Amino acid sequence: MDLAWYALLGLFFGAYLVLAGYDYGVGLLLARGGGPAGRRAALTALGPFFLGNEVWLVAAVGILFGAFPVLEGELLSGCYPAVAGALAGVVLVTAGVQLRSRHTDERIRARWDRVVVVGSVLAALGWGVLLAALLQGVPREADGHVVGVSHLATPFAAAAGLAMVALIAVHGATFLTLRLPAADAAVVGRSARRLVPVALTAVALATVVGLLSTRVRDAVQQPAVAVLLPVLLAAALLVARAALARGRPGWALVATGAALALPVALVGAAVWPYVLVSTTDPGASLTVADAAASAPTLRLLGWVALPLLPALLGFQAMCWWVFRGRTDGRAPVYW
Amino acid sequence: MDTLLLARLQFATTTSIHFLFVVVTLGLVTLLVGMQTAWVLTGNPAWERLTRYWGQLYVINYVLGIATGIVMEFQFGLNWSGLSRYVGNVFGAPLAIETLVAFFLESTFLGMWIFGWHRLRKGVHLALLWGVALTAYASAFWIMVANSWLQHPVGYEVRDGIAHLTDFGALLTNPSLGMAFGHVVSAALLVGGMLMAAVSAWHLIRRTPDHALFRTSLRIGLVTAALAITLVQGFGFAQFGPVAEVQPTKFGQGPEAQALITEWTARFGPGDYTPPVLASVGLGFMILIGFTLGCVWLLLPLLFRDWIIRLRFPLWLVLLALPLPFVAVILGWIAREVGRQPWVAYGLLPTDQAVSPVGAPVMLASLIGFSLLLGTLAVTNWVLLARHAARGAGDPPLGRPPAPPNEPAHPEPALA
Repeated sequence: MDLAWYALLGLFFGAYLVLAGYDYGVGLLLARGGGPAGRRAALTALGPFFLGNEVWLVAAVGILFGAFPVLEGELLSGCYPAVAGALAGVVLVTAGVQLRSRHTDERIRARWDRVVVVGSVLAALGWGVLLAALLQGVPREADGHVVGVSHLATPFAAAAGLAMVALIAVHGATFLTLRLPAADAAVVGRSARRLVPVALTAVALATVVGLLSTRVRDAVQQPAVAVLLPVLLAAALLVARAALARGRPGWALVATGAALALPVALVGAAVWPYVLVSTTDPGASLTVADAAASAPTLRLLGWVALPLLPALLGFQAMCWWVFRGRTDGRAPVYW
Repeated sequence: MDTLLLARLQFATTTSIHFLFVVVTLGLVTLLVGMQTAWVLTGNPAWERLTRYWGQLYVINYVLGIATGIVMEFQFGLNWSGLSRYVGNVFGAPLAIETLVAFFLESTFLGMWIFGWHRLRKGVHLALLWGVALTAYASAFWIMVANSWLQHPVGYEVRDGIAHLTDFGALLTNPSLGMAFGHVVSAALLVGGMLMAAVSAWHLIRRTPDHALFRTSLRIGLVTAALAITLVQGFGFAQFGPVAEVQPTKFGQGPEAQALITEWTARFGPGDYTPPVLASVGLGFMILIGFTLGCVWLLLPLLFRDWIIRLRFPLWLVLLALPLPFVAVILGWIAREVGRQPWVAYGLLPTDQAVSPVGAPVMLASLIGFSLLLGTLAVTNWVLLARHAARGAGDPPLGRPPAPPNEPAHPEPALA
């Protein structure tokens, strides 16, 4: 039961990073110029999916609270700056994307677009640092509380944050290659291919810094899984590059999506059976089973979630199906 | 400044801003469902124009509802980790259900509704709006289940100092839930109706084009507000009985309150177990506003032969009364939430035990940062709402037909 809910939590958070990842990727790429028309086109491509993507985060945190209340309290308050930063980023992107076109003045729109860029960077950095915190352990004391927030300030967390920014940039560019009208897609496809080596470098840097960090080496419980993470990430990025080069942006998007989902799955697996590894007191590490809500709560949530999941996935799939294909002059414009 | 006070201030700020937007969301979506259903059933384009105009305002308002809602959800973990540690097994369940059953679908449906004009069949498009409305109500319901549990914890047992769920049904039949849910939902309808009436009144005072459209929405708004205020008053007064029973300290100092305080002093040690005066002040002013708004009924006879528009001064009254329901909903929350102090879960978990053990500087930075961020966004949002409301129903971007295929698509669709 615990394991099923842990997997579900991973599924929702992973899906959030994959789906909202291209929101933030597109948001980040608003900074690359292309003028008002280019930014408009990018947001139109994102359009119908935006709201449906962001809700995966809300659902993930709902599951975190309902099924893993102890983890929710310790993880969020123990990694306060990372979570608050990501949250501020999410709020900025949510407001910026939806409100920028409600202004008629192009200068104000450009200002909102800068807000979206900043928000996208903050969100990516924050989630990257949070995943790094899980992998490098937190100073959890015997009383069950994580002490202080300075434990986040490590080179590994910084490298992981930067790697996340690079990954969402590649992901966003790949999404635009799939969605924009064919002529614009070629241009953004070239950017996506050029971004792949950048992301590979960032992942390599994070890997090296992680291997050198004693905290990461001590916290990881399943070294084989941890080593697999950068290998699979690099493989996914190379597949994406090859697919882009062959003009198969759909497969490229699957690959870059995998690159964003993999860290969630593999970080979870690498510290298993723990979820929060304590760096100060080995006895204070929090296992998944201890973090989970008690059995009656999980049973209740199970009965709610079981019939609901197909509906949730079905309506999301309906959204993807209705608005599939490249945008053109007749694409609905709203953001 | 201690962490507890900062965390409470932050929660109060976020919740208040959140509530100002979600009541509008809930009220307007109900009226939108009526308008779009009328459009699909009658085919009358006037209903389509009404749906587009009010839908546009609804969608702008929705943005801040989500932004503040996400921050609230995270705040439970960031600032109130004791809440999840001690009562998370029970309190977390309705919140998790809310996100999955309600909010997840609400936003998915809304995204398709915004972009689905001229692309989906009319029936499907209407069904999406119904979906948005139903999930919005479901969302309000589950949030109220969670809040009512904090007001009056039921269906749990404490083992090893931690609350465990024993009877989920008890959460749904919580005496502090039923009337409060009715009260909140009718307050949302009141706000939606008043907003619609006031914006229409402004247009009718200014004699802008679209007299017929704003005449219709003025009538819809006023009738909704009148029906809603009666429900608000009814559900409000109906709450006094059950609330006084389960929360004797909320409204005063009867013998039951004294007995409870004696019991708490024995169990939790000596302390100040009476809620701050602010709660009763909030309650008093809210009731005053509630009675004032009851006067909406006096305006209804003036709908006959449009006397309300011809006389003009009733339109001014409607316009000037717009802030009242917003003030009242905030005061209502103050009465409910501050009235529960010093408990986060009444009689079970004191507020000071629920706060996260983070340092005051971190908490202060978070309070200032998020208050500035959400405050700025809220003001920006209201300015945008006012501008779009004033712009009239000429050609709102929401639901604008796409360019005909033979013309070059305008790459920069002017957003009127």
